[in-house]
Amino acid sequence: MMKPVYISAAAALSPQHSFDADGFLPDVVSSNNGKLYVQDTDYSKFINPVAIRRMSRMLKIGISTGMRTMQLAGIETPDGIITGTGRGSMRDMELFLGDMIRLQEEALNPTYFIQSTYNSINGWLAMQTKCTGYNQTYVHRGHSLEVALLDAQMLLNENEAKQTYLVGCFDEMTEDYFVVKNKAHYWKKTLPDSQHLLQHSDTNGTIGGEGAAFFTITNDAANAICSIEQMTMLQEPTPQTVQATIDSILAEKGMRLKDLDMVLCGMSGDARYQPLYQPILENTTAHTTVAAFKHLCGEYDTSTGFALWLATRLFTAQTIPEVLIQKKGINPTIGNILVVNHYPQGTASILLLSTNK
Amino acid sequence: MAERIVVTSLGIISALGNGADANLQSLIAAKAGLHYPQHLQSIHAPQFLMGEVAYSNDDLCTLLGLPTGNNGYTRTTLLALVAMQEVMQGIDKQLLQEEGFACINANTVGGMCSVEDLYPEFISDKQEGDFLKYLDTLDCAESTQNIVNYFGIKPFTATISTACSSSANAIILGARLIQHGIVKRAICGGCDALSRFTLNGFHSLKNVDKQPCRPFDNTRFGLNLGEAAGYLLLETEKAAKERGAEILAVLSGYGNTNDAYHPTAPSPNGDGAYNTMQLALHKAGLQPQDIDYINAHGTATINNDAAEGKAIERLFENNIPLFSSTKPFTGHTLAAAGSIEAIFSIWALQQQKAWANLHFTTKMEELAIAPVAQMQDANLQHVLSNSFGFGGNNVSLIFSKA
Repeated sequence: MMKPVYISAAAALSPQHSFDADGFLPDVVSSNNGKLYVQDTDYSKFINPVAIRRMSRMLKIGISTGMRTMQLAGIETPDGIITGTGRGSMRDMELFLGDMIRLQEEALNPTYFIQSTYNSINGWLAMQTKCTGYNQTYVHRGHSLEVALLDAQMLLNENEAKQTYLVGCFDEMTEDYFVVKNKAHYWKKTLPDSQHLLQHSDTNGTIGGEGAAFFTITNDAANAICSIEQMTMLQEPTPQTVQATIDSILAEKGMRLKDLDMVLCGMSGDARYQPLYQPILENTTAHTTVAAFKHLCGEYDTSTGFALWLATRLFTAQTIPEVLIQKKGINPTIGNILVVNHYPQGTASILLLSTNK
Repeated sequence: MAERIVVTSLGIISALGNGADANLQSLIAAKAGLHYPQHLQSIHAPQFLMGEVAYSNDDLCTLLGLPTGNNGYTRTTLLALVAMQEVMQGIDKQLLQEEGFACINANTVGGMCSVEDLYPEFISDKQEGDFLKYLDTLDCAESTQNIVNYFGIKPFTATISTACSSSANAIILGARLIQHGIVKRAICGGCDALSRFTLNGFHSLKNVDKQPCRPFDNTRFGLNLGEAAGYLLLETEKAAKERGAEILAVLSGYGNTNDAYHPTAPSPNGDGAYNTMQLALHKAGLQPQDIDYINAHGTATINNDAAEGKAIERLFENNIPLFSSTKPFTGHTLAAAGSIEAIFSIWALQQQKAWANLHFTTKMEELAIAPVAQMQDANLQHVLSNSFGFGGNNVSLIFSKA
């Protein structure tokens, strides 16, 4: 049985003002074209000025979020760096592929090729933090970040010494990607304003999004924001397996349903996946707040990262922005949050976070 | 390591052939698998020798009992399925159903071999056509998902992408999942098919050789690309003995580090390679003099061989083990390189042979050491296998005689 691990710092670049704004989700950002893009920040604060000139947007977003997390944790060099990404730098892949086709395989720019490799952000973060330790990149669609977190948990259980790993995720929305996934029926035919996405759960499809989120994960309970008590990855989830997983997590932790302060749900306004969350909306007691986040970040492989970042902010702020709330509960404080998130390619993940040490 | 992790089954397809026998016989006969590609459609194909698997996609489908033609399976996936089929041959289906396996796959460009042909259709206004079957092949997990669906593997699945060390990392993750009791057995490895995307990527970096590659040779100029898939079944020694499985080798140590030096080039003195090999030795509880043979990363690029060679000199000092790179046999198979070379390392232990470093003639001026030019019989107890990648991602594995 592995010991739980702790989140000691978190940062997120997302379609919301999540990075350096004052307050908690001020001025909610919405869109009506089916795409939510990251709010840019001043990337030059985090990346060497020579290197930054050739960098693609995904690299800037990923590296800056990782570096900001290290800053918040007050650590220069982590013990290792582990990331998850569904698609890496999509835009670099598109540019190299596009050039290759257009220029008929002649005189190509290697920068796009190098940056399109899924582990390039890890390499940059290792260079910038001078981290010669463990380094790993998981690329498993909707479970990319989850496997990265599991890896960190295993590493921290392999060592008695206090250690801190930089763990994060990043994924990007592009015009091409939107077109491609439209053919796979990912998106809604009639695109609503993103803020009202969840009121359209009677039709198929959702909206696209992107983001990066990084965390320092440690076995040191002191100064931790919360612990990751439990994490379960589900294949081909059904309402029954989601409910059964929640029940077993609660049983294992000796918790009753009403002890849950919040369930943070990945419902995406897509009629095909809404049933996964129906038991949560119906079975949670008046004590529990049911909240949602995908109308703020859109659908992408590592959206769990945005949810985890939100959870860390909820724990520290102890206030719940109105825009998240689906069903308000009466528990006075937020001491634990259950994150339940699905991904359209047939996976879901359920994580229990807690501030009880 | 807490419980001994052993290898009990393996599967491989490479330019040396389909299956363990064909690959082993080619290594013993010192017969390389490099040719001008017949299946890869590229304007550069007539100029570059590559380690292309001889089978066409339809041939591979036939081996797997799949319909031929545009069936939605990429060459990446087909190679993976063929190699996995060999791993699964020796395994009781009931064992899989009752006890569950992890499937840890590794990959660098997913189904790019198909995507690069279909991309214009992907992003066009077209709403119908065979290309729709390939929409999900854009990411690295496509082959993994197909493997677990085809063989019914559960409960744990993951995909790793750390460039050329990807499948060596898959082996490490599998071992650790077993040691933590998360799964009892893990099938680990990687697959990559040749693609124009990858060929042009490496070509644009100017490190592909038109001649057969010459690792650790003073005249080396660059690498030859290859394609392959290789998988190994890992379990604890106890679990293997319980079911009476033959133990092929022991995975006695591993190391994963990062250079933290440059996006594509290794640190010139091979600090990263040095640290990784040392970490693997530490994990295995071995001393440098215990290593009898190194299956080097040895891509034959100017930078890799200088850095790796210097790291070997520094770490092993007066006890330089036999070492060679098998890249001239298979080409650099990227995400598959770590796992197929893990298999070659296990065969080295079983056959008590150090494999030839083909095409070696002239010692490097930066190094005092030279690789095994011709296959050599040797008393091998512990073998180290290196895999280093872009992004500074380094992995070393140590296999020991069963």
